[in-house]
Amino acid sequence: MGREAGLDSAREVSWRQMDGLRRILREPVLAAAIGVIVASLFLFVIYPLVRVFQMSVVEDGRFTLHVYRDLLSKAFERRPLYNSLLLGVLVALAGTAVGYLFAFAIARADVPWKRFFRVIATFPIISPPFVLSLAAILMLGRKGFITRMLFQGQWDPHIYGLRGLVLVETIAFFPTAFLIMLGVLQAIDPALEESSLNLGATRWQVFRTVTLPLSVPGLASSLLVLFVESLADFGNPIILSGNFPVLSVQAYLHITGMVDFSGGAALAVILLFPTLTAFLLQKYWVGRKSYVTVTGKPSPARLSVDPMTRRLLLGLCLAMTGVILLLYGTVVFGSFVTLWGANYTLTLTHYVSVFHIGGRYLRDTLILASVATPVTGILGMIIAFLVVRKQFVGKGLMDLTSMLTFAVPGTVVGIGYILAFNEPPLLLTGTAAIIVLLFIFRNVPVGSRAGVAALQQIDKAIEEAATNLGAGSGRTFVTITLPLITPAFFSGLAYSFVRCMTAISAVIFVVSGKWNLITVAILGLVENADLSQAAAFSLVLIAIVLVVLGLIQVGVGRVATSQMGYEPSG
Amino acid sequence: MRHIVSVLAIVVMVAWVSPVLGAQVLHMYSALDTAETQLYIPEFEKDTGIKVEWVRLSSGEVLARLRAEAKNPQVSIWYGGPSQDHISGKKAGTSVPYKPPLDWGLQDNAHDPDWSWVGFYFGAIGFGSNTDFLKKAGVPAPTSWDDLLKPVFKGQIAIAFPYTSGTSYTVLATLVQMMGEDKAFEYWKKLNANIHHYDKSGSAPVTQAGLGEVGIAISFSHDLIAKGNAKGYPIISTFPKEGTGYEIGGISLVKGGPEPELAKKFVDWALSVRAQNLMQQWFRIPLNPKAEVAKGAVKADQVKLINFDAVKAGEDRDRLIKRWRSEIGQ
Repeated sequence: MGREAGLDSAREVSWRQMDGLRRILREPVLAAAIGVIVASLFLFVIYPLVRVFQMSVVEDGRFTLHVYRDLLSKAFERRPLYNSLLLGVLVALAGTAVGYLFAFAIARADVPWKRFFRVIATFPIISPPFVLSLAAILMLGRKGFITRMLFQGQWDPHIYGLRGLVLVETIAFFPTAFLIMLGVLQAIDPALEESSLNLGATRWQVFRTVTLPLSVPGLASSLLVLFVESLADFGNPIILSGNFPVLSVQAYLHITGMVDFSGGAALAVILLFPTLTAFLLQKYWVGRKSYVTVTGKPSPARLSVDPMTRRLLLGLCLAMTGVILLLYGTVVFGSFVTLWGANYTLTLTHYVSVFHIGGRYLRDTLILASVATPVTGILGMIIAFLVVRKQFVGKGLMDLTSMLTFAVPGTVVGIGYILAFNEPPLLLTGTAAIIVLLFIFRNVPVGSRAGVAALQQIDKAIEEAATNLGAGSGRTFVTITLPLITPAFFSGLAYSFVRCMTAISAVIFVVSGKWNLITVAILGLVENADLSQAAAFSLVLIAIVLVVLGLIQVGVGRVATSQMGYEPSG
Repeated sequence: MRHIVSVLAIVVMVAWVSPVLGAQVLHMYSALDTAETQLYIPEFEKDTGIKVEWVRLSSGEVLARLRAEAKNPQVSIWYGGPSQDHISGKKAGTSVPYKPPLDWGLQDNAHDPDWSWVGFYFGAIGFGSNTDFLKKAGVPAPTSWDDLLKPVFKGQIAIAFPYTSGTSYTVLATLVQMMGEDKAFEYWKKLNANIHHYDKSGSAPVTQAGLGEVGIAISFSHDLIAKGNAKGYPIISTFPKEGTGYEIGGISLVKGGPEPELAKKFVDWALSVRAQNLMQQWFRIPLNPKAEVAKGAVKADQVKLINFDAVKAGEDRDRLIKRWRSEIGQ
């Protein structure tokens, strides 16, 4: 019986696929859209990765593993792998703990100043990653603020290396953990906790036996995501790693410093393994184990914790907030100091140099980001639309491929791009196009994920009505779907703009004399220890991002309220 | 909304196209610091009307890029970096000869025999110590290579990676030519215990020593002054009494570069009295005898120089760096 049912459903699936195919062929616009998207995903996501892999195993046209043998047989070449893994694990644990703390305090403990903590816990997302390393040097370096003031230089915090990296990466990436955990905690129906309290459990028992187990999938996925983010991080370790080499930086040095393309590619492949494993685990294993308990029934008032715990949580959040504000505050202060370490009179010269020296980098960055952002947003929505609403062969693959760029560390993608697009007919090195393409395909998952989430909540019937009235897929998409998912579209836009403006790990490989980026310039300044200038550049960059986000927010507000009466939250 | 979008689109288009219109554009990799490149390029643009679009890279990185881009050169000129890196470039086939018309004699060791590269300044390797650090540690500034091995300097010395930085490779080549290869590597292994960390850029250690993040920087004399005392950092420059290596900073034309004629104009300009005088701001020693030397700059007769063979250094680069990586483990 079961078998017959299985056969039946299999038959039905294939029938549906055939039907889907037939329908698609009837609509040339749709077929063309799918064709173009599949082709470009292949060309700009898969092909560069294939080139990286090929570079690491092919020599003089023959397959060989000797590059890997060479790398793994030497202790000093193996060290970056161990270091990266160790750093990834520590950052995943610390970042998830901090993220959970903030999420729990906001969603469950009813601490005061929730909006403020929410802003603090998401702010690091919009700042370029290496700003925190810069802050760490200014604050805890041998001539750092705290080192000098508090310890009179008697104690060296040793921030160049593992310690410093754990500190800055935890702060840089805990916002992701916070957002994941906030979502999870808000999806747990307080009624469950309420009822176990009523049955006589203590509040601690409730946390231990109800809340915590229900947040396990969220915790696991946060751990995995942070592990990936830490492994992929390039901006912080290149500044702060000292004698603690990590994979992303080593791969970069192999290629830019030693002209060792096969070694660099092999390191990139080695870096790809743990990140891809963690990503797939997150997507296919943890991602499915969600314990959503919100039922739609009205829940009782927010369950809270006892005053002591609340005070404790508040204290911890405040302490963490203090550290974050202190770090960014040091950057602000540093940007006005004449010569850090020698002359602390205040000056505006570094801001003048932002426009004098940094003007062209800013111009290039803004131009490239404003070309890439709308394309990314629209492409993301089209992919979301196709994945959620249409049946076609290779749909799963399209979904996975568009997500792939998210999991692959920027260093690997950057290396892939210089390998793949350095020769005719795909000669793109040195052009604006290569940077724009990199931006688009690095960030498209952000938009498409938001689009998928929004579409799944919108009844298909509205679009079907349009189709029944004679509109084709293209017209339905533009006139019905797109307006309905406008908020998702704008949040995709906002996020991909931020990522364009702050990206470094992949683009550092493809910048040129014609097109250079502000982040690369800032990194150069930090490397040269021109700390105050780097601080001023970074703050100007953050200010620009904030202004554009504000504009997009206004745009969302207007469009959303006028078209759907939908009020965007937070 | 639609208006905003179309206005934005026009702005973007204009901004995109405008730099391409009008002036001729020379594309360049500069191995000089960003801040220093910024001192010279606008002057060249003013003098010639040629616009320069440049990227700052350490000279090892320039070499790597030129080799990677050999089939599709992105720039026409490589500006700055020790001659031995330019010699490696010649060996790798990334450069093309050009003999600038000079009304003065350029020493034989200051240009390639075939003019594949041309020198435009001189600088010696030295040590820059933070005087606050020296005072606190109660030691005099190091005046010999052996001094650097003192235990009191543990974790206090900064230098760049020899493979990314021309400065640091000059140090390696100097030690090899002075001590012999095996002894040099033995020496560096001992030195490694005192190194705080390695940088990508050869002049970065100077600022770090100035800041006090490290006690001592090993770098070129002009960088020690320009990025040290001249900026206001408490840095004292000393030179090893056993002798030290030096660089002739070079320029070379890139083979197959898109603008060879503009690149030649740049070489001519860089050797002119006017351009050579500009280098006073960075305390480099000009090669044009009519140019003036900045006060406080370190001239060749003020330090003990070894008989440095830049050609050999350039030709041995790949091999020495491979050995350095496997023995030092960085």
